[in-house]
Amino acid sequence: MEPMITIRYLRKQYGDKIVLSNINLEVYPGQIIGYIGPNGAGKSTTVKILTGIIQDYDGDITVGGKNLRDNVLEIKKMIGYIPELAELYDQLTPREYLNFIGKLYHLPDATIDERSTKMLSSLGLLSNIDQRMESFSKGMKQKVLIASGLLHNPSIVILDEPLSGLDANAVIMIKELLQVLKQEGKTIFYCSHMMDVVEKVSDRIILIDKGNIIADGTIQELRQNSTDSLEQIFSKLTSGGNQVENADAFASAINSSNSNS
Amino acid sequence: MNKILLNIVMLPSGLWKKMGADVEQLRAILTVKLKMDDRKPITIGSQRRQNKKENKASSLRAMFLTAIMGLVYTMTLGMLLAQGVDTIFSFVAYYSFFLFMLTFLLITDFANVLIDTRDKFILIPRPVNDRTMVLSRLLHICIYLFRVVFPMSLSGWVVTGFFLGWKAALFFPIPVVLLAAMAIFFVNGIYMLLMHFAKPERFKKVMNGLQLVLSLLFIGIYTLNSPMITAIMKATQTPVDILKFGWARYLPSYWLASLWSWVGYKAVLPYTLLLGFVAILFPIVCLWITIKYLAPSFISKLGALDNVDVHETSIVSKKSSGKLYKRLANLLNRDDALKAGFIITWLQSTRSQTFKMRVLPSFVLVPFYFFSLLFMNKGGLSASWQHLPHTKTYLVLLYMCSFPLIQASAYVTISEKYRAAWIYYAAPIGEPGKIMAGAFKAIWIKYFFPFYAFIGVFIISIWGPAAIYDLVLAAINLTLYALAGMLVSQRFFPFSRPDQIANSGFKTFLRMMLATIVIGSLALGHYFTTIPTTWMPFPWLLKIIFLLLSTALFWMLWDSYKKTDWNKLKTAEEFA
Repeated sequence: MEPMITIRYLRKQYGDKIVLSNINLEVYPGQIIGYIGPNGAGKSTTVKILTGIIQDYDGDITVGGKNLRDNVLEIKKMIGYIPELAELYDQLTPREYLNFIGKLYHLPDATIDERSTKMLSSLGLLSNIDQRMESFSKGMKQKVLIASGLLHNPSIVILDEPLSGLDANAVIMIKELLQVLKQEGKTIFYCSHMMDVVEKVSDRIILIDKGNIIADGTIQELRQNSTDSLEQIFSKLTSGGNQVENADAFASAINSSNSNS
Repeated sequence: MNKILLNIVMLPSGLWKKMGADVEQLRAILTVKLKMDDRKPITIGSQRRQNKKENKASSLRAMFLTAIMGLVYTMTLGMLLAQGVDTIFSFVAYYSFFLFMLTFLLITDFANVLIDTRDKFILIPRPVNDRTMVLSRLLHICIYLFRVVFPMSLSGWVVTGFFLGWKAALFFPIPVVLLAAMAIFFVNGIYMLLMHFAKPERFKKVMNGLQLVLSLLFIGIYTLNSPMITAIMKATQTPVDILKFGWARYLPSYWLASLWSWVGYKAVLPYTLLLGFVAILFPIVCLWITIKYLAPSFISKLGALDNVDVHETSIVSKKSSGKLYKRLANLLNRDDALKAGFIITWLQSTRSQTFKMRVLPSFVLVPFYFFSLLFMNKGGLSASWQHLPHTKTYLVLLYMCSFPLIQASAYVTISEKYRAAWIYYAAPIGEPGKIMAGAFKAIWIKYFFPFYAFIGVFIISIWGPAAIYDLVLAAINLTLYALAGMLVSQRFFPFSRPDQIANSGFKTFLRMMLATIVIGSLALGHYFTTIPTTWMPFPWLLKIIFLLLSTALFWMLWDSYKKTDWNKLKTAEEFA
C-alpha cells in the first residue's frame, strides 16, 4: 500500500533554535497515528507544516503522492484540520462560521446547510446554532471547530488536542467517530497529551522529544512486555521518570512561602 | 449597506479572477469580515447583553459623525474657492489635508487588518491561494476606507457643486477615489515590502518601529503642512506668484488636483495636464506590484509570524527600569490594589504596541504645534522667537502638554488582550477604583510629569521664574481635565476593553475637539488671571482663588474615582 503521508528528513529551526531536527515518517490510509511528546517537543510545528501554515522548512513531505511544497492548495483540500487553540471568528454564529468555511471549499449551500445542521445536532449544539460564539464555553467552541474541520469530508484528518474542554459524552462520541472515520479509510493524525485516550484510539504511537522521534510503534511494541501504561512509558522516555520528586519539590515550595498568605 | 458595498467591490470579478483570485472564496471571506466589523466584541462586563439584536444604526451613526469631521477640511476648500484662489491650488490644499488624514489612519489601523492573526488558523490551513488572501485584505480595507472617505468628502462635494457648478460636482468623486486608492496602495505596498524583505523573526519589531516612525513623521508634516498651505495660498492669488511654486508638482496632492485641468480649469504650471496621468497610474502600478511580486511570499511570511513569538524570547532587563517602577509603585501607593494597578499599567503601556502607537505621536504634536504657531505669526519664525518672552505663548505650550495625557488616559483601558482582564473579576478586589486610580497614577507619572517638567524648564529659561505659578496651576487643571474624562467615560479596569477599529479615528477626533474646547476655556481662564486688570484690585487674589478652586475640585474627583465600587463599574460597563 502507498503511504498517505511521507515525511523525509524534516527539519525546522528558528534562528539557532532547532525545533524539529530530523523527522522521518510514513503514515498509511486508515491508520490512526497518535503523535505525542512533552511541551515544546515539536508536535505543533509538525502539524503546522503538514497543514501548510508554516511553509518554510527543510526536508520533503508528500501527501497522497503529491509534494507538499508544489501542491499546497490541492493538499489543503484533502486535509481537515482541527486546531488546539479555540481560534475562530467568534463574533459569528456557528451557522455563519460553517457556511463561511464551506464556501472556502466550494461546497454548495445546500450541502453546507445539511452537513452543518446534522453535525452540530449530533454534537448537541443545534439549539446554539444561531448564537454568537463569543459567549460559548471552550468545549462548545471546540465542537464547532471539529465540525468545521470535517465539513468538507477530508481524507486526512489532523487533530491537535481535539478533546480539550469537551464533556465526557462528547469525548465518547469523538472517540467513536475516530473509529468510524478510520473504517472509511481516512488517515488520522492525532496529537494529544491525554495518554489514556491516545493509548485507546491509536493504531500506532509516535513519541517525539526535542525534535526527534524517540519511539514509534503500537502500544504493545512500546510496552516491550512490561505492563506500563502509555503515561508511564512517556514519563520514562522523556524525563527519566522523576515526576514524583518534582511534585515533592513543588509542594514544599508552596509551604515555604506560607508566611505571606 | 454591507451588501451593496460588497456587490460593488465584486463587480470587477472578472478582473479579480484574472489576477489569480478565487472569486467565490473572495466573496465568502469579505462577507464574513464585514459582518464581524459590525459586531461589537463582548467584554466581560457586558455579557448580559449578548443576545440583543445588533445595532445596525451604529455604523450609520459613525458615518454621520465622520461627515462632520470632514467639514473641517471642507472649510479650507470653501474659503479658498470663495476667495477666488486658483482652483487647482485650492484643491491641492484640500487633497493634501485629506491625503494626510487618510494615510495616517491607514498607518495606524492597517496592520490590524493586514495581519489578523486569527487568519493563520482559520484561513491558511484551507485551500485559499495567496492572491485571494491578499486581495480579500485589500478589498476589505477598501470598503473600510469607503466608509470613512465617502462621508468625509460629502461636504466637499456639496461645496464644490456650490462654487463650481454641477459639472464640477459630477467630476468631484473621481479624484477622491484615486486619492483613497493612492493612500491605501501606498501604505499596503510599504508593509508588504517590509514583509518581503524582513526576516519573520524580526518582522514584528521592524514593523512596530516603522509604524511609529511613520506616524510621527506624518503628524509632524501634517502640523507644519497647514500653516504652510495657508502661507502658500496667500501667495498664489495671481498666476505670476504661482510659478514660484513649481515644486508643488512633486506632491501627490498636486497630481490629483491636476485632474481638474482635464475638465477645463486652467492650470498655470506647465505639464499639469500630464500629471493627471500620474494620479491615475500611481495606484494601479502600486496594486500591480503588490499582487504580482509581493503577494506570493505573503502567506508563508504570515504563517511564520506568530511562531516566532514563542521562540524568540525577549529577555527583559532586570536592572534599572525594573527597580524604578517598583520603587515608584511603593513610594506613591500605600494600598496593594493601587500598587497592582500602577505596576500593570506601567509595564503594559511599555509593551503594548497599540498603546504606544496611540500615545507617543501626541508627544511630537506639542513641539510641532508650538513651532507652527510661531511660524504662522507675522514676521516669520525668527522674529516671533525673539519676541517670545514678551508674550503669553507659554500658556499655550503648557496646555498643549495635555495631549499625551489625554491620549494615554483614553487608551489605558484598551487592549487587544482585553480578555485577560478576567483576573480582576476573579481576584479578591474590594474597590475596583483602587486599581483604576493606580493606573491613572502610572499614566500621570510616566506620560505627563517628565514631559511637563521638561517643558517647564524650557519655559522658566525663557520667561523666568515668575512662570512657576502658572506651571503649577496648569498642571492641576490638566490633571483635573484628564481625571474628569476618566470619571465620565473610562471607569474601567486598565487594558480591559477591546479597541474598535471602525470608529477609533473618529473617537480620537471627538475627544480632541472636546479637549480643545474645555482645555481652551481653562487656559483662557488662566490667561485672565495673568493680565493686569482694572476692575480687580488684587490680581494675585484671583490667582489664589483659581488655584484653590482647581485643587479642591481635583481632590473631589480623585476621591470619587478612587472609590469607584463594583456597582459603578457595572453601570459604566452597561453604558459602554
